[in-house]
Amino acid sequence: MGRTTRPSLATTSTSTPPTSYSKGSLSSARSSLINVLSRPRLPLTSLSTATALAQSDGQLTPEDDYSTASSYASSVSSSGGSFSGNSKEDNAEEIAKAYRNYLEKPFVNTKSGIKHSEFGHCNNPNWRWTSQWNTDEPIHPEEDLAPPLYILVSTYFSYLIFIILGHMRDFFGKHFAVSRYAHLLPTKDYAALYSDFDSFYVRRLKKRIDDCFSRPVTQVPGRTINLLDRESSDQNEHFELTGTQTRALNVSSYNYLGFASSTGGCADAVESSIRRYGVASGGPRHDANTLDLHQQCEKLVAKFCGAESSMVFSMGFATNSTNIPALVGKGCLVISDELNHASIRFGVRLSGASVRMFKHNDMGALEQLLREVISQGQPRTHRPWKKILVIVEGLYSMEGSLLNLPVLIDLKRRYKFYVYVDEAHSIGAIGPNGRGVCDYFGIDPREIDVLMGTFTKSFGAAGGYVAGTKELIDRLRVRSHAYTYADAVSPAILTQVISSMGSIMGVAPPLAPVKEDDDAMSVMSRPISYGPALASQLPPWLNLPATLLNGTEGRERLRRLAFNSRYLSSGLRKLGFLMYGHRDSPIIPLLIFNPGKMPYFSQMMLKRIGPDLTPIVVVVVAYPATPLITSRVRFCLSASHTKNDIDLILRAADEVGDVLDLKLGEQTMSVEEVIASAEELVAAAF
Amino acid sequence: MAAAAAPSSSGQDIPAPLVPILAILASAYRSFASALTRIPGSPIVIRYIESSYQNDPWRSILEVLLVAFAVRTLLKGRTRGDASSKNWVKLREEEIDELVDEWVPQPLVDEPSDVDKFTLASVPVINGPNGLRVKLASSGKMVTNLATVDWTGMIESDKMKQVAIDTLKLYGVGSCGPSGFYGTIDVHTKFEEEVSSFLGTESAIIYSQAYATISSAIPSFAKRGDIIVADKGVNFAIHKGLEISRSTIKWYAHNDMKDLERVLQNVEKEQKRKGGRLTRRFIISEGVFENDGMMVDLPKVMELKRKYKYRLILDESYSFGMIGAHGRGVTEYYSIPAAEVDILIGSMGNGLGAGGGFCAGSYHVCKHQKINSSASVFSAALPAMLATTASSALATIQTQPALFTSLQANILLFRQILSKIEPIPMSDTPATSATGLTASAATPLTGSSPSKTPNKDAIIHIPSHPSSALIHIFLLNAPGTMEEEERILQDVVDELLAKSDVIVTRARRLRGQEAFEPEPSLKVCLSGALSRKETEKAAKGLKEALIKVCGKKR
Ligand SMILES: Cc1ncc(COP(=O)(O)O)c(C=O)c1O
Repeated sequence: MGRTTRPSLATTSTSTPPTSYSKGSLSSARSSLINVLSRPRLPLTSLSTATALAQSDGQLTPEDDYSTASSYASSVSSSGGSFSGNSKEDNAEEIAKAYRNYLEKPFVNTKSGIKHSEFGHCNNPNWRWTSQWNTDEPIHPEEDLAPPLYILVSTYFSYLIFIILGHMRDFFGKHFAVSRYAHLLPTKDYAALYSDFDSFYVRRLKKRIDDCFSRPVTQVPGRTINLLDRESSDQNEHFELTGTQTRALNVSSYNYLGFASSTGGCADAVESSIRRYGVASGGPRHDANTLDLHQQCEKLVAKFCGAESSMVFSMGFATNSTNIPALVGKGCLVISDELNHASIRFGVRLSGASVRMFKHNDMGALEQLLREVISQGQPRTHRPWKKILVIVEGLYSMEGSLLNLPVLIDLKRRYKFYVYVDEAHSIGAIGPNGRGVCDYFGIDPREIDVLMGTFTKSFGAAGGYVAGTKELIDRLRVRSHAYTYADAVSPAILTQVISSMGSIMGVAPPLAPVKEDDDAMSVMSRPISYGPALASQLPPWLNLPATLLNGTEGRERLRRLAFNSRYLSSGLRKLGFLMYGHRDSPIIPLLIFNPGKMPYFSQMMLKRIGPDLTPIVVVVVAYPATPLITSRVRFCLSASHTKNDIDLILRAADEVGDVLDLKLGEQTMSVEEVIASAEELVAAAF
Repeated sequence: MAAAAAPSSSGQDIPAPLVPILAILASAYRSFASALTRIPGSPIVIRYIESSYQNDPWRSILEVLLVAFAVRTLLKGRTRGDASSKNWVKLREEEIDELVDEWVPQPLVDEPSDVDKFTLASVPVINGPNGLRVKLASSGKMVTNLATVDWTGMIESDKMKQVAIDTLKLYGVGSCGPSGFYGTIDVHTKFEEEVSSFLGTESAIIYSQAYATISSAIPSFAKRGDIIVADKGVNFAIHKGLEISRSTIKWYAHNDMKDLERVLQNVEKEQKRKGGRLTRRFIISEGVFENDGMMVDLPKVMELKRKYKYRLILDESYSFGMIGAHGRGVTEYYSIPAAEVDILIGSMGNGLGAGGGFCAGSYHVCKHQKINSSASVFSAALPAMLATTASSALATIQTQPALFTSLQANILLFRQILSKIEPIPMSDTPATSATGLTASAATPLTGSSPSKTPNKDAIIHIPSHPSSALIHIFLLNAPGTMEEEERILQDVVDELLAKSDVIVTRARRLRGQEAFEPEPSLKVCLSGALSRKETEKAAKGLKEALIKVCGKKR
């Protein structure tokens, strides 16, 4: 739909690039073919350059694994293991043996200080990609993801059965097991604290699969995560810890760039910050709790986003819920994507502005709505709206869909509304420089009036920010609820933000020199406003290692994430799964449909049937977080995953997909074929 | 309609001109009926209609009309009211284009007013760590900080720092996910268990920000149609929670128990009159009020709550960690079991020198929030180090009641000095010992008998409870506008800083966004970790500054 409102989208944006770009780099950067060609393609045999690179990174020794594994055997063989047995069982046993310590010990030798279990070592420079808009790929493909009829029918049918059974249990329970229902029933003088009707879904449907939610964990939510094993003896009402732990591959945390880590440069910086500043913030910013660290962080965030000014908050949710009411009020209209996050709805409801919704990411529907609301004006009085604020997200956390920003900006020019983009998931995760959707689409961030985002995801910290013009931010500083009444950000968390963000940007000086054979794209296409962090603006006591300071590690992480995302997303599509989302999105939803399959998917990923036996934790989501029919599993990838990890996820999904009949599309490749052709899949346009 | 109209052709005495029309109708009916029979299941429907017609033709007509009406409402629902409403103006595309061209929106943010600029300019910046003694960025001076909440000196505690570093080395910083999706870290559960056993409640749940805790917890229980009776002086976060809940809100005068009872009686009368179903009813108050430091009369509220069958939501964000012999809050102060408060909110930022907030209550109260409170469901879980430092602070305050005796001693000292310029000064010799103040509820500080003579030099009044470390100072003879008053108060702040090297803050407000504009005031946060000398110096300095600025103004 978006395409119809702007038919010449592809041509216009390549021929008239945004002013802040250097023209030469742009046209070449825009095609995925070039993306492949401009990468250093290291032949597997010639290790000379690779060695140099590896050593300059100070991470891996020359015996590194550069093979594009086409089977388990080859991926293990480079670590010294060899496979003699031909029979299947032998092979499976060997694989199980080779993978026994897979999550803690890399197949490669490494000198790196970062734990492999938190951030996987993967030095093959071919397994990198640059996240950037390719005009040939639709931004929001309107894929026809209708499942076969029998799936639809059985899904509705299972909900029907759950609902009937649930009501029957409620009916009998309330009459015969009154004590267990006491909290749902009104007593003589008190109404029930919450109604049985409202909580029906939670008690009768979610409870059945509660085992997949709120699993207790411990330690770093990095590449792997430690689950505290638990069991329930009363049908998921209570869980008891068994005392054991399971380390599992983590494709559930929003740890896009792998900055959730207990070791490494950022953790060291946080440690020295705690020694200086402690952890408490002391109260609201306006009450003398504004530290130099807050100001340094705000300057850095502004620079990172390409905005003039910014402010930071101690909670991402509250960033939306306390700032939207400071921007709009009575007589204003908020136009909101129907799938916007709860925090946005919370804020809009508080603001007192009128709200209209449009179909998810459908720019045609948005334009239709804009024409209607501007021409009709306010209800009843027909007075013109004071202002219209369109609130959208950069990357949708349940759908994996990317905001159709180019068309939105066109619409903005025509219809004069203001744009508020929540970049909670896209900031740091998308774009050649990790600066979110503007960076990805090559659009000047100053086109967007309010840039909002969170630190909980890519930066491994907590809290959120708002960035924009100085007038906007100064105004918000006096009007934002959180600035006056909510606790400021803790200094330890500010340091995590400063150090992780600084290392994505690189600090000037000393910024890494551009290497001859390096993929120069991200450096060249960096618009002026996305410059490196200024050393003078960082806290003087902050000591970051050289690889963080010069931006090489940040760039590595961005590219690993981009490769991983595209690889898994394409691979699962080839295996015949029905997938949502953009291929550059690190959030990858796989449709399950039938609610009954959700717990099985989650459990089978954890207790694998595949020979490598590596447990994997995934997130399953269903109604009401999604529409009734499209229950899904969601993979959240990270730069900390190695290619081998993604291979394992593909294998696991393949196993489970066959057992649970989830490959509802057309399977065009076997899983081993997918794994063997990873690089081609990533480079190919779909 | 056909079913109802066509059979009438079999009637007698038909006027001649109607015969052909009826014939057409009859044949239409027949072909329609035969088409109908081809639809599976239709014979049953037809038989039903026919038999019902025979019994009662009017009923058939009525039923058909009903169906038509139902279909119409369904269709109307689809078009979302607008296009079909009377108010809709049908416009041609060109006209819409024109209107779009003509529309000029207001700027996203309006010009900052002088007050805004003044507010921004008066925010102090601290260089280096926060705490009781801080270095100001503007002057580079070390000053005593009475603007930061640090009741028991946790902010600068080395033990807390060590705990945070140990946590960092195991857990990293962020939790990278909401509690439902692998964000439930063992240290969260541990703190929840500790704080609930500290308070004596069944359960507790933590949130990642104290402000968001109450504003999300309220709407997770109170829905449209429910009744909330709230104190008029509650803090901003509660106001926002009330707004979101869309419940029916009844206000009672700030901390006025008579008025509370009056409101409760009115509600009861109204409900009796109206009848209807039993709705949820809540009373909302704060332990120590953020806006003025007054303390709730909890025994009376409990009595009324029981008498009128309400549930109590008590925000102890300021009183938890400040009031009571071990800092359990107003429940401890009044010796009322915290478990009797249905929903109790606390802050780990204010009370424990960490960050985040929690809600304590019964098992079902907490479990319900885990799934239904949006700030808990849709937000990343608290960073592990804030949970472990909170745990550590909790252990400290449990075992060191001396922290609270010295806090109370400092409060007493401070209040005595300032009472010299209050309408009713306290006597110089404290009537009760410092320990007696905190340990027993029966002897609130007012026991230090005020001298009866009204004070001619009075320029301020302090409504804050004598045991509250959060002290709000209001001017007695306020000038005409709030803005002027704010400026005077800022002058006091500046004077105090310049003369005595102490920072306090003007209570910051969101003028224009508050439901009931609070009077301007100075906000002072005392700490037990401050020495007596420092407290005395700060109090004297503040008194001088107030006399200098306000005395001159009159
Ligand atoms: C779009 C969006 N906005 C805001 C938030 C809230 O952020 P936080 O988890 O930091 O509170 C989220 C988090 O899930 C989100 O997805």
